[in-house]
Amino acid sequence: MDHPPYYRFLLGTFVLSGVVMFHTAFATPQKRIEKPSKRPPVSYTQEVRPILAEKCFSCHGADEKKRMANLRLDTRDGAIAHRAVVSGHPEKSTILARILRNDGLRMPPTHTGKKVTQDEVEIIKRWITQGAKYAPHWAFQRPQRVPLPKTANQRQIKNPIDNFVFAKLEQIGLTPNPTADKYTLVRRVSLDLTGLPPTPQEVQTFASDTSPNAYEKLVDRLLASPQYGEKWARMWMDIARYADSAGYGSDPLRPNLWPYRDWVINAFNNNMPFDRFTIEQLAGDLLPNPTQEQLAATTFHRNTMTNTEGGTDREEFRTAAVKDRAIVTMQAWMGVTVGCAQCHNHKYDPVTQKDFYRFLAFFNQTEDNDQPDERPTIPYLTSDLKRRKEALQVEVAELTSKNTPEAKAEIEKKNKEIEKIFIKLPVMKELPTDKQRKSHILILGNFLSKAEEVQAGTPTYFPALPADAPKNRLGVALWLTNRENPLTARVAVNRFWATLFGRGIVETEEDFGQQGSLPSHLELLDWLALEFMEGGWNVKNILKTLVTSATYRQSARTLPSHLEKDPRDRLLSRYPRRRLDAEGVRDQALLLSGMLSHKLGGPSVFPPQPDGLWRAAFNGERTWSTSVGEDRYRRGLYTFWRRTVPYPSMATFDAPSRETCTLRRIPTNTPLQALITLNDPVYLELAQALGRRIAKEGGNSLQERMRFALLLVQCKPATETQVQTLTELYNQELEHFRKNAPAAKTMATQPLGDLPAGMDVAEQAAWTVVANVLLNLDSVLTIG
Amino acid sequence: MDWELTKARSITRRTFFGQAGLGLGTIALNSLLAEEGIAQQKLKQGNPLAPKKPHFKPRAKSVIYLHMSGAPPTLDMFDYKPKLTELNMKPCPDSMLKGERFAFIKGVPTMLGTPHKFKQFGKNGTWISETLPNIGSIVDDIAIVRSMHTDQFNHAPAEMFLYTGNAQPGYASMGSWLTYGLGSLNQDLPGFVVLLSGGTDPTGGKSLWNSGFLPSIYQGVQCRSAGEPILYLSDPNGMDRASRRRSLDALAKLNELEVKQLGDPETVTRIAQYELAYRMQMTVPQVMDIAKEPQHIQDLYGAKPGAATFANNCLLARRLVEQGVRYVQLYDWGWDIHGTGPGDDLVTAFPQKCRDVDKASAALILDLKQRGLLEDTLVVWGGEFGRTPMNEARGGSKYLGRDHHPHCFSIWMAGGGIKPGMIFGETDEFGNRIVKDAVSIRDLQATILHLMGLNPFQLSYTYQGLNNRLIGPVDAAATVQTALLS
Repeated sequence: MDHPPYYRFLLGTFVLSGVVMFHTAFATPQKRIEKPSKRPPVSYTQEVRPILAEKCFSCHGADEKKRMANLRLDTRDGAIAHRAVVSGHPEKSTILARILRNDGLRMPPTHTGKKVTQDEVEIIKRWITQGAKYAPHWAFQRPQRVPLPKTANQRQIKNPIDNFVFAKLEQIGLTPNPTADKYTLVRRVSLDLTGLPPTPQEVQTFASDTSPNAYEKLVDRLLASPQYGEKWARMWMDIARYADSAGYGSDPLRPNLWPYRDWVINAFNNNMPFDRFTIEQLAGDLLPNPTQEQLAATTFHRNTMTNTEGGTDREEFRTAAVKDRAIVTMQAWMGVTVGCAQCHNHKYDPVTQKDFYRFLAFFNQTEDNDQPDERPTIPYLTSDLKRRKEALQVEVAELTSKNTPEAKAEIEKKNKEIEKIFIKLPVMKELPTDKQRKSHILILGNFLSKAEEVQAGTPTYFPALPADAPKNRLGVALWLTNRENPLTARVAVNRFWATLFGRGIVETEEDFGQQGSLPSHLELLDWLALEFMEGGWNVKNILKTLVTSATYRQSARTLPSHLEKDPRDRLLSRYPRRRLDAEGVRDQALLLSGMLSHKLGGPSVFPPQPDGLWRAAFNGERTWSTSVGEDRYRRGLYTFWRRTVPYPSMATFDAPSRETCTLRRIPTNTPLQALITLNDPVYLELAQALGRRIAKEGGNSLQERMRFALLLVQCKPATETQVQTLTELYNQELEHFRKNAPAAKTMATQPLGDLPAGMDVAEQAAWTVVANVLLNLDSVLTIG
Repeated sequence: MDWELTKARSITRRTFFGQAGLGLGTIALNSLLAEEGIAQQKLKQGNPLAPKKPHFKPRAKSVIYLHMSGAPPTLDMFDYKPKLTELNMKPCPDSMLKGERFAFIKGVPTMLGTPHKFKQFGKNGTWISETLPNIGSIVDDIAIVRSMHTDQFNHAPAEMFLYTGNAQPGYASMGSWLTYGLGSLNQDLPGFVVLLSGGTDPTGGKSLWNSGFLPSIYQGVQCRSAGEPILYLSDPNGMDRASRRRSLDALAKLNELEVKQLGDPETVTRIAQYELAYRMQMTVPQVMDIAKEPQHIQDLYGAKPGAATFANNCLLARRLVEQGVRYVQLYDWGWDIHGTGPGDDLVTAFPQKCRDVDKASAALILDLKQRGLLEDTLVVWGGEFGRTPMNEARGGSKYLGRDHHPHCFSIWMAGGGIKPGMIFGETDEFGNRIVKDAVSIRDLQATILHLMGLNPFQLSYTYQGLNNRLIGPVDAAATVQTALLS
């Protein structure tokens, strides 16, 4: 019998990251090859609905208030009832008659500026001829496995992903780019999997490894490195709206929340299956005898904001937090937006207002209620703290035998210390049964306007809560990760895809509903979702599948034919080149300059930022105590995240404030970003360090050093023109700084500090300028 | 509009990438593009800050919004209530307490008449507090709305509601909506600038100028009247302009090689952004340098170069709109007049706050007017909610002050299509409730968008399946207040 995942979980038989049958995919039967019929069936979802949605639904759609002529075209019944559509008879269907008119009765009306094109008319005609079939929204149906599409490009193909991608490219007369060179590949996959570029040694190792599985070995090494967890935790932090402050007015600090962040890093590094990752974060506290780590996972939903402003109503902001939990859960796991249903039934997706408050009821039973002290909390112990505590307890035990006044005093002192050893970590804690709250529909979402009482339940349109699942948050987690759920796996793999390819197969990662964008490759998305579930929700395996595809390994070169036929690269005719994210820009500069601390986890840190930025209201904390030592050079993931004043250089590179859940960062390309990597003292310091590293490790001649520098930052050998261009710059700057000793001194040493013995001031000033350019190269700021 | 946005969001995002001369780099780029066969058009289309056509003929081109963060007690400023003075320190009638939620008031409070004298100003003899002599002197140029109301009565949610249309963070702010809808008239400066004074950020924090779901290029850029005007604007210590130029030339050359090799249009944009950054390094300090203003203008505002004051920010605001900046938002902290101590009471702290803003607010109107800019510039002055007609007396405090009150408050507006010298709306004799011409926050938002030539019901952005608008999802909740328009 095929036990659903939650069943295994509850039985405690979870198999940790076992090797799953990745290769089963290749065994998919391919007996039935679809033959294109002469008149291919029109797809309502892919072809017809987009036309109707853009040109008809605003007046003939779901919104009763805006509906004209009492005609709706978004349902088959509606369209048929008014003979707008007469199945099988385009000539009798008034929809076409009206579209084709040339007078004032034309649809859509002229004043809308919209017109149905000839091609679109043909689609509608064919659709009506074929029976005018409507289809339920694709994303709300379970993923389907289809035979792998055929592709002529058998030589380049690496795994089934390529069948789907190549076949689509062939349909529009494109072929994928050839595989990128090894230098490009090692940098690309290192950045994508660990958020850091490879070292020159790593580049060399891969470039000279001629074994057939060299690339696979590289991928395995990267997935096994602790930096992998850091990189992918970053992605989850935006979703978890993790921050080190509570938000609102004075935005008080939450310096104790980081064990949750570390839990996420460890979950990725230990390759925790995604279903378990889900269950522990949503309901770790409801598992039998939860461990400290399972409780720490539930901090996920304690990342909601707390309003400590004077004169606030606790219930108002508790309600806001609970709504946020319901909304984020649906959105992060199922890509369904339910926020609007707090006031009214969803206009496009099958979520009613009642559904919303029934779902909210699951989250309405925790003890927390917008208290400034963030209770309830647990005394969380890291392994270091635990060791320290145990050591002290041993000492106390030894002292107890002595029974002298000195020993007693010492015991008291040590006991006091023991009491203080813990981190006060906010967690989810269910109210006792007799104190559980009643949940109501709230009129217009107002916490004071209670309407009908509701019982906890999942949105009725979707598959029901599994029969044996408890009616609480644990049940919700099991429902999300149940095989019947059409969305969770799709949303998850789409997010992995988006992280690796810049954009999701469904571009609106946050919205898989009817208003979201259609998948560029639906069958591929489904194939991946099924692989993911059948493979035991194994995250590393699915990532490996993605990065070992030929699609991923293509060169990024853009050709004129690409811009003509696939301008936005939705069909992946080339590797989607893109800028590093905010943390990536920082992390890479740290690594290249040799300054990066590899310390994993721990409290958030305070790298330098301009003075006086923290000026929160109501006596909020104003002191940014810049970290010293290695904490000054930690990865961006560890930068202290104050919601009302996010770290400015990362915010400029599109990092969100994390006041709310962010499912997709929209990348920008602005002059303010240029100012940061050119002028921010943080980046200048790293340019100085990089300059010194070049002088120290780059050999003796200027030529050698320049080649070393370019290889280091680009992870590929320099071209002659590159060397020449930078050598010219270096010589000009050297000449300039030779004449300006004070400026040279400043340029070479502020803020990094005195030069090591033997380094020349003017030379290092010139190298700083060169390094500043290197860290701003397009090829460095971009994953290509 | 939606199509433009889709492009802005998805193809590439190119801030400030105008068609104005881009310096040497551009010429090289153009030839590169021709060589590579990449349509130049694609690049031009991609600039989401290029000026866009409004929905209809606008009454104003720019907005300056002067926000008094903390909610000023407008019963002591613009809404004179002799009846309240009569009842001073008398117990509050039960009828006013029934069903009322207060932030801090407990039990039965006493009524609080204003401790300040009122005086008639202007042609209409408008009653204005003597704490605001300068604003009084321009009363014929402004429209006072005495009937504002809001849904929120805590600061951060109320400020977010006012500026983003939602009491929770994560939504696009008014300045973002306007730059999204209209683009900006000066590609060398940010389209949406934020200036702070009073030593503390507004309660709503950075959310108030966040672009929310709109691309982050529409986010407000905080400029500072003291220190570096924009973070990281100055070249590093020890680097002169010539060095910067040489290094940018080398960078452009290397990046152009990259374009030749990979043909990525985004690289072309990046090259342009670096050129623009270089130009901003010169234009921004120039426009932010109020010392360049003649002494009599500095004196008009009470500005003192180098300080982070409201007066300096008003003068800066004028300079910025003069340069085509679309939306300038000022936040002045310190208006939360609860009367819990001498720092926030009605007798000493409040008049000081009036002195901080009175002269400069009036000067801004006068200065815009004398330059012929007032007719194209909408100026709004106000807080996030009102304050109670009762004395708060928190914890038995002997200092006078008022609690939060969402039901009514006054603001004023001037310039860009606003009828000058008018009083709109009316509250009851205690200043407790509106009795005539109520104006909601959403009405105000709708009216501002309307004056800028945008249909508030049409200006929308689809995100997470919702057709988001500044005025919220319900059409009936917002009305353009045409009575205010000239």
